[in-house]
Amino acid sequence: MSTEPVGVDPRDQEALALEGITVRFGSVTALEGAHCTIRRGTVHAILGENGAGKSTLMRAAFGWLTPDAGTIRVHGAPVRFQSSADAIAQGIGMVHQHFMLIPAMTVTENIALGGQGRFDASTTAARIAEVARKTGLPVDPTARVRDLAISAQQRVEIIKALVREAQILILDEPTAVLTPDQATELLRWVRSFADAGGTVALITHKLREAFTVADYITVLRQGRTVVSAARLALSESHVIEALTGTGTGTGVTPASVEASTVGPTIRIADLATERRMVDHIADAPVLRLDGVSYVDARGVTRLRAVDLAIHPGEILGVIGVEGSGPRELLRILAGRLAPTSGRVTRPDAVGFVPEDRLHDAVIPTFSLTENLALAEGGHARGWMDWSRWWGVTRDLLATADVRAVGPDIPMATLSGGNQQRFVMARERRRATAALIVENPTRGLDLNASARILADLRTFGGNPRPAVVFHSTDLDEVLSVATRVVVCFDGHVAEVQSPLDPNDRTPYTRAMTGSDGAGDVISAERR
Amino acid sequence: MDALLIPFLDATIRTATPLAYAALGEVVTERSGVINIGLEGIIIAGCLGGLIAAGAGGPTVGFLGGALAGLLMAALFALFVLRLKADAIITGTALTLLGLGLTGTVYRGVFGLEGAALGTPSIAPIALPGLSSLPLVGPVFFTQTVMTYLLYLLVPLLAWWLARTHTGLALRAIGESRTAAHAAGIAVDRIRWGAILFGGVMGGLCGATLVLGQVGTFTEGMSAGRGFIAIAIVVLGRWRVVGTALAALLFGGAFALQYLLQAVGWALPYQLFLALPYLLTLVMLAALRGRAEAPAELASHEG
Repeated sequence: MSTEPVGVDPRDQEALALEGITVRFGSVTALEGAHCTIRRGTVHAILGENGAGKSTLMRAAFGWLTPDAGTIRVHGAPVRFQSSADAIAQGIGMVHQHFMLIPAMTVTENIALGGQGRFDASTTAARIAEVARKTGLPVDPTARVRDLAISAQQRVEIIKALVREAQILILDEPTAVLTPDQATELLRWVRSFADAGGTVALITHKLREAFTVADYITVLRQGRTVVSAARLALSESHVIEALTGTGTGTGVTPASVEASTVGPTIRIADLATERRMVDHIADAPVLRLDGVSYVDARGVTRLRAVDLAIHPGEILGVIGVEGSGPRELLRILAGRLAPTSGRVTRPDAVGFVPEDRLHDAVIPTFSLTENLALAEGGHARGWMDWSRWWGVTRDLLATADVRAVGPDIPMATLSGGNQQRFVMARERRRATAALIVENPTRGLDLNASARILADLRTFGGNPRPAVVFHSTDLDEVLSVATRVVVCFDGHVAEVQSPLDPNDRTPYTRAMTGSDGAGDVISAERR
Repeated sequence: MDALLIPFLDATIRTATPLAYAALGEVVTERSGVINIGLEGIIIAGCLGGLIAAGAGGPTVGFLGGALAGLLMAALFALFVLRLKADAIITGTALTLLGLGLTGTVYRGVFGLEGAALGTPSIAPIALPGLSSLPLVGPVFFTQTVMTYLLYLLVPLLAWWLARTHTGLALRAIGESRTAAHAAGIAVDRIRWGAILFGGVMGGLCGATLVLGQVGTFTEGMSAGRGFIAIAIVVLGRWRVVGTALAALLFGGAFALQYLLQAVGWALPYQLFLALPYLLTLVMLAALRGRAEAPAELASHEG
């Protein structure tokens, strides 16, 4: 595998160079001599699975942490960052995966943070408006961040960096929180920013993104740089091999990863037929919503008179942009949210896998046994039969293939993929009627995502339970679901499978309301 | 009517003044995301510091002494919470107990068993020329001590500073999200040190005002729960400067009411009047459920 950049254009100049970066956290080595040279005016994708060290490397570049060894150069001059303030002064801006915004404050206040002297809101707002106009990223400077959609918050983060005159932007998994259309829009913006002379380091685990937008690709695996080359010099299969490492014994070959997550075209074709077939074998519905509406605590209507029937054995994929209702729809089906009006018919045996597993589904400091017992012992009284729970947990670990030392270890010590498998397995135990799953692959790497999606597809039982799941990744939904519904502005409608199984337009159109609406949005941004 | 109303309102302002100092200091501390429940200990230290320093060099030196005593107590708190990462609630509780115990011991050591002379230098109300002759408003608002007048300046100044300076913005940001503030390049701990020390100086001034402007002498435990009342005032004031100043007035009124009710000769046990401000604290805290407007970082007690 090549570690030397290939196809270097001599006119390219180095904007940010990282060499021999080593970072240790106690006894754990997060980075071991990682390197990467990012050239001015280019988009440089940093690829790697979870825990490969992508974010750590970029945090070192942003002065968020000081590497134990290695050198960092900005525009050719060696630098030593004491804090992120030093990196900001050098023209580096970073948009973290979890936004560093203060929800209670306005856009202006958030952007002014870190300045000196008097704080004049109107001057800052004018500056924001100017940057927004020049870069084509619309924001309302007076809005409170908590009232903004995720995509708007992301624009605030980018503008925050640009207002401080950042020439080098580090974006950490920026599309993870966006819909396909928003992601396309952002990547287009990233491209134009680089074409205008800016520099972008794009951290991602999505191959397609790297190959669509990047000029250079660096692949990290287990804290080391395994590939760093011009995109044109690389093939997808080469990069997948570098990402996963062949023969690592994960039981998932790169080929199956490609089929399920990276290139879902073949599966979609199969499933399109399957989707139509399942409709015929449908029994009486297991879950039913009749005229269900939901108004949230802030008075915003999230669902409008939704009628929906879900049948045993079907896998219902829910698509829709953030805030348009999928979250509320799933939580009402799961019994976690009471509708404002309307009727919900649901059995007790419904499992629920929330999006934020570590916060909403488990207690990280409790052992696996305790976490299992907690979820199922809700109605029980009296003594805990711990030895029985211990045995149940051990069996569950084996059957669900959760990689854990044993039932006694704390939940927090499991990897993200194993945590998700544990929660899924736990919810499956009680989900004899239906299983509701929110964003099942959020924060998971390629291998772990592929396994979770395979689990959803093969979810069995007698009678076969229904599965309802929402994902922000349209490909994921299409590769698993037997039926697809879309949420738009609180309305829920079924999307008919197109005749051409590779045609994604009916879905993306449905998510933006109509074909016209999408054009209006993109026109406004230009 | 005026014969009762004016003394009542005058007493309201007078008793509200020290409360406002302590509460405004606590507003700044809490907006930086740290709760200092050791305020009681800071106030009592300010009382004794004020007394000793005033004895040595007059009222002005007395106020400086009170502020210094509060500053030292707050520095101790900041050292434990920010540097040594101790729990803020435990440290604050210890600071209160330390302040109450230490002042008693020092007081007896310095003044012996007879206690301080009653002739402690004190400050008298100053009638502001012109303003003090206004009907009702004059005798109530403009015939007060210099500490009250300073407060009239401090409230708008502090509100402006929090809203219109970058340091004020940084302080509020730290209270909402330490991580986000850190990412913006803000020196989180340095600003928290500043906020805690400011709270200490204000708490010390509260104590000195009690001794030099109100009671005229020192007795053990004379802070009498004002530190905790000040924390309740901050909640009632919704962590805002002007709101907190108004809330302090309300509690000043509760203290003053006991004088009024005794004056009109209600035949109730006087203990009930004395308990009034504390009952008000409980009622207010119960009535104001939900902490939607509290700085988000206050919820996590790791300083």
